[in-house]
Amino acid sequence: MSRSIRYSSSPLLASKTPVWRGRFVVATIALAFIGLAARAAYVQVIGNDFFQRQGEVRFGRTLELPANRGRILDRNGLILASSVPAPSIWAIPEDVERDPARLRALAKLLEMTPAELDKKLQDEDKTFVWLKRQVDESVAQDIAALGLKGIYQRQEYRRQYPEGEAATHVVGFTNVEEHGQEGIELAFNTELSGKPGSRRVIKDRMGRVVEDVGQTTPPADGPDLTLSIDSRVQFFAYQKLRDAVQLNKAKAGSVVVLDAVTGEVLALANYPSYIPDKRRNLTGEQLRNRALTDTFEPGSVMKPFTVGLGLETGRVSPQTVIDTGGGKLSLYGSTISDSHPNGALTVEGVIQKSSNIGTTKIAMQMQPREMWELFSQVGFGQKPQISFPGAVSGKLRPYKTWRPIEQATMSYGYGLSASLFQMVRSYTVFSHDGEIIPATLLKSSEPAPGVRVLQPRTATQIRKMLHMAAGPGGTGQKAQTIGYSVGGKSGTAYKQIGKGYGTDKNRKYRGWFVGMAPIEQPRIIVGVMIDEPTAGQYYGGVVAAPVFSDVVQQTLRMMGVQPDMAVKPQIVAEAPQESF
Amino acid sequence: MTRINLVLLLALLLSALYLVRTQYESRRLFVELERANAQARALEVERDRLEVDKRAQATPLRVEKLARGSLHMHVVTPALTDYVVLRHAPAASAPAGNGGSGGKS
Repeated sequence: MSRSIRYSSSPLLASKTPVWRGRFVVATIALAFIGLAARAAYVQVIGNDFFQRQGEVRFGRTLELPANRGRILDRNGLILASSVPAPSIWAIPEDVERDPARLRALAKLLEMTPAELDKKLQDEDKTFVWLKRQVDESVAQDIAALGLKGIYQRQEYRRQYPEGEAATHVVGFTNVEEHGQEGIELAFNTELSGKPGSRRVIKDRMGRVVEDVGQTTPPADGPDLTLSIDSRVQFFAYQKLRDAVQLNKAKAGSVVVLDAVTGEVLALANYPSYIPDKRRNLTGEQLRNRALTDTFEPGSVMKPFTVGLGLETGRVSPQTVIDTGGGKLSLYGSTISDSHPNGALTVEGVIQKSSNIGTTKIAMQMQPREMWELFSQVGFGQKPQISFPGAVSGKLRPYKTWRPIEQATMSYGYGLSASLFQMVRSYTVFSHDGEIIPATLLKSSEPAPGVRVLQPRTATQIRKMLHMAAGPGGTGQKAQTIGYSVGGKSGTAYKQIGKGYGTDKNRKYRGWFVGMAPIEQPRIIVGVMIDEPTAGQYYGGVVAAPVFSDVVQQTLRMMGVQPDMAVKPQIVAEAPQESF
Repeated sequence: MTRINLVLLLALLLSALYLVRTQYESRRLFVELERANAQARALEVERDRLEVDKRAQATPLRVEKLARGSLHMHVVTPALTDYVVLRHAPAASAPAGNGGSGGKS
């Protein structure tokens, strides 16, 4: 029989364990619990914000809401540039299911060979591989229909340019990221881009948005931009320019059409041009915006300014007779010559026959300072104040550096250089009754603020002379139109070949024409330049004036301007024929 | 004492169930809202694309080709046009054409 042991009389109780050992253990455990309580208090009360933020960082996401790029419209609201959706296809090589038939179909849709596609999907370490950027939406839908695992799409946008090559030098283009690279797309890139918004959300494990947290900033879409360009005038000017350049077997050409009252640029076209959607093999020749970037010596286009200054300062009057002699003048050791001997000419006749000697004789009565001031005021040597990349200032040297012979040559347009745009804009001083107005590429409905340069009477007299120059006996007869009175100056020059101007057998020319219509109250100013015509004719009045005539005829008709000259009525036969 | 406890316990249960229901509703509505927003954006983009398409159909080059080719039209000149000026006087329009009327206009 086992003896039962009662707790109160167990021999173990008699052991002599020191009391403090027990107390010590209890104290330690109590301390541990206090530590836990303190930590709990710290996490939940004192450090509350920090921990909550840390938690949120792990499941909250800030989504960027992209802003739509603004459209570019012409003055009548027609679209010149607009963004369309163009999804980009990307893949995670590891996840792609290797189904040969569907991969072949995918390669065909992406327009690459199956071998190229395999090469892209080869590296399984990469987690992101572009397959093709910015494909058409229909192609993207077909790819989605294939249902391949591991192939994803990202929504991107691409610019579409309905006007194509006719307006591309003005409108410009963007790169893949929709940042403007040239033209108006570049000049107004910040405004067109708008501002992206943001949104703070919680996403679940699958990546779907579950809840909105905090404020949402909506995106500010880029506003639409309305240009002063009229796409009908732009297209027509480009077409006629292209036909003329091809007809004259020339290297290039430009045309600028300016509204004479408001200074708006109605058209600005160059040839050769390019299609903005197909920029793969673009050459520098196609890309140049020649009307704004190429400068040349203005030649006879400057003569109205010299004569205008002479009239303004009272040194000559329109009927003053100038003796141009036998067509050659010796001055300061150089010879100035006319194309034909003209004998005695009135000042009006000097412009009409485009006499270098006549202009020189008028210029030598004036101070270089006066000439330089007039040329500067009408914009030569100054950068055009249009918000457009690449506009050049041309060259006009300060009058103190002019040698005496240079004062003579500058009077008929040699020794300074300007772009076609500057020349066209400078003629607003004659169309706007002696005030020079700024040019603008944006639509503006108010009349432009002018700066007075000449008296209205002088401007009227010069306009009459320009009209004579484009009429019978003048150099620009081909500029005439049916029903509208025109006026303008043609210019022809040798191009520089190396250090000189080439020899008789081997010359290069440039021909241009700048004028306005209708001559009494001009509505438009048009400038045309044809570079290196090689088909036999090269005078500005022959190669450039017909383009001027066509552009003026069509533009004034579109603007609804009533013809101011008598027109012979024309019976039209049933069979279609060109009217002009 | 126990009765109050039981009542409070019941109230707690009911409010908890109501909370679950409200949260579910809110999430359901949120998903619907997201879907509607996405659809609105997609429709806007589609509209822009169609406008560009419409414009591309009417580019001057295409219009000219069709006008000359299929419709046999040609361009008007002042020689074929009658210009009419409306004056403010009650005798409405006074023709002020140039050179009289031509053949077809």
